[in-house]
Formats: sequence, structure tokens, C-alpha cells
Amino acid sequence: MHPDSNLEILMARYQRGDFGAATDLIECISPQLHRFFLAQSQSRTDADDLLQETWLRIHKVRHTYRPGEPALPWFYAIARHIRVDHYRKSVRTAAGERQLEELSREVATVPRETDPVDGLNALLAPLPESQREVIEMLKVAGMSLEEVARATSSSVGSVKQKVHRAYKKLRETMSAAGFRKGQSGGLS
Amino acid sequence: MKDEEIDDVLTKAAQAQYDLKPETLQRVADSIKPSLSPVSPLPPTWVMACGLVLVCAAVSLAGAARAGFFGFAKMDLLERLLVFPALVLLAWAAASEFVHAMIPGSLRRISPGTLLGLGSAALLAVFALLFRDHQTDHFFSIGIVCLLTGFLHAIAAALLGWLLIRRGFAVNPVSAGLVAGVLGGLAGVGVLELHCPNFQAAHVLVWHTAVVPLSAAAGGLVGWTLKFRAGSSAGENTF
Repeated sequence: MHPDSNLEILMARYQRGDFGAATDLIECISPQLHRFFLAQSQSRTDADDLLQETWLRIHKVRHTYRPGEPALPWFYAIARHIRVDHYRKSVRTAAGERQLEELSREVATVPRETDPVDGLNALLAPLPESQREVIEMLKVAGMSLEEVARATSSSVGSVKQKVHRAYKKLRETMSAAGFRKGQSGGLS
Repeated sequence: MKDEEIDDVLTKAAQAQYDLKPETLQRVADSIKPSLSPVSPLPPTWVMACGLVLVCAAVSLAGAARAGFFGFAKMDLLERLLVFPALVLLAWAAASEFVHAMIPGSLRRISPGTLLGLGSAALLAVFALLFRDHQTDHFFSIGIVCLLTGFLHAIAAALLGWLLIRRGFAVNPVSAGLVAGVLGGLAGVGVLELHCPNFQAAHVLVWHTAVVPLSAAAGGLVGWTLKFRAGSSAGENTF
């Protein structure tokens, strides 16, 4: 996290047209968002494109952030919107609407090849998309349950339920794989 | 494994160093620099919600003024005191949710489906309590006219409401469309309650209340169409 500043203050300065604040925000947030995209993208290039597109959208709708409100859920809500749009478009372009369900089922059940530095992707691979994104926001972004609820346009209760189900699934998968405490690599 | 152990594993994995290439960050910064200018943030939620409720009230009053306040004239005091405050309260709830749907990262207190269900149920409860005439004269022919009248005013209210808060950004257009439809539908019901002198229970319960789910469905459909189109043009946005 950027020293001597917080996202809310930087956002307020960004809205006033301060390029320094915009640059600081880009440096603070981009690694998290890139990692968020990489969890579902096929490649780093895809994640780079999504990051670029997200920042263009953030820039376009920066007036919708209201000073005093938590900034991180605002960023993630937009990033999530871009990711869903991109995913829908790429699936439609590649294979048509019919294959969307099959692909999302595969994404949810098959562990994918992941970046070697990111063991979290491998750990979360067995989870459905909706549970995985909640865990990513909680663990990678360090968001609270309420902030995750804001980012995903759902209730705190719904987020808690997803976390509970995700932990249940992870417990089963980790136990089956003989996972030991302190280990942080992938399951496969 | 215990939850705490899973927590430890996830936290350690999440803390792995993750860096982006400086040129990626520079490219992002360069892309926004040319159009960086001061912007004014959106007004507070309650201001926008008040505006939306006023728009709905204006549409209802304008519609009834054109067609005549026959329903309002026929109502007794208790009916007026229950029906119109209930409509205002529901419109306030729908307006607040519409504003939240147009601001990314807002905390949603109620889902669009729940809002639709609760709104329709509340209207049904009020109407069932007040209207006890169980005749069903010209049930379909008169009912369709009321439904269409309410729906047309609902469209007008939803469009004007959208114009009012068009600076917002709906991350989920289907959800926003559905809520906008509920809000417009309540304005449509307002027109019918002010205008329609038919107090037969079945007529009011079925045809007046049906304006809300019908306009919500239309709003959801519009939102779905926008979402579909946005998906088709994703990646083509430039500044």
C-alpha cells in the first residue's frame, strides 16, 4: 500500500484532476486488480488488456465515487463488471452462447495452469467463480465482508454464505490432497 | 483441517510478491493523462432519491390531471391515508435502491427480486384490506385498459428517473433496469389510484398491482439488452 496516503484521499484528489494522485492510485491498485484478472484470464496479456480497460472505465466514471465512501469496493465493482463483460464477449466470440455453461463449469472444476508466483490461484481453482472471487477479495485485497458485499452488489449475509461454502470445499480438497499446515503452494 | 488453518494457508498464498511491469503501469497512466480534468462527484443518495420520488409524483399527478381524479374523489379518508403514504414509502425504497444500483460499490440493502416481491405484497395487502367489493364486472376489458395506462406512465416515470441519474454507472444493468421498472411501476399505480374509480377488489388486486411486475420485467429486459450490447462492444472504448 502506498505510504502516507489512503485510497479515499487519493480518489478525492484524482476527482479534482490531480495527476499525481491518479498515478499513485494506479501504482497502489493495479497489482491487485491484475491478479484479480489473472485468476480467470488465460494469459498475462489478457490480464494486461483487462487492467487497461478497467482504468479507462474507472477514469470515465470517476465522478461516481463519492468522497467518504470506501474506495476499494468501488474499484473492484468496476473491475468485476469489466471482467464479466470480457468473459461473456470472449466466450461468445469463440464458441457461441451454448458453450458458455460448459466453459464456466470447466473453469469451476478443473485446476488451471497458473503463474508460478501465485499459489493462491491453484488453491482456489476447485471453487466456483462466485466463491473464488469472494475469497480473492478477502485475502488478496484484504477487504472486509461489508466491502466485498459492496463490490459484488450483494448482501453481507450472502458473502458470509459464500465464504462458508468455499471453506467447506477447501477443507475437503485440502484434506484429500494431504495438505499440511504452513504449506501455501498449489494442490496439484 | 480447521478454518483457522485454511485461513493461514490462504493468507500466506495471498501474500506472495506480485509485481507488475513498470511499462504496464506507465501505459495506463499515459492513457488517462490527456483527459484528466476535475469532475464533480454525484450528490448524496437521499438527494437523488428525493428527486426520483418527485419525478414519480409528478408523472402520477400529470397522468391523473389529464384523465381526471375520479379515483381520489371516490376514496374515503382512510383509503387515502393508507394507499398514498404506502405508495410514497415504497417509491422511496425503490428510488434509494435505484440510486445504489447506479453507483458502483454501493451497499445493497435489498435485492431487486426482494424489492419487487415485497413491493407487490405490500400493495396487495393494502388493497385487500381496503377494497371489499367482490364483483367482477368487465374484468378483462376494463382491467387491460388500466394495466396499459399504468404501464405507459411507468415507462414515462422510469425514463425520466433514468434521465435524472444518468451520470451514474450501473455495474449490473439488469438489476438497475429491474429496480427502475419497480419505481416506474409504482408511479403507474399512483396514476391508477388517483384516476380509476373502479374499486372492485379483484380489479384493483390484479390489474393495478400487475403494473409493478410488468414494468419491472420490462426494465429488466431493457437492462439485459444493454448488458448484451455492452458485452458486444467491450474493449472498444477509447478516450
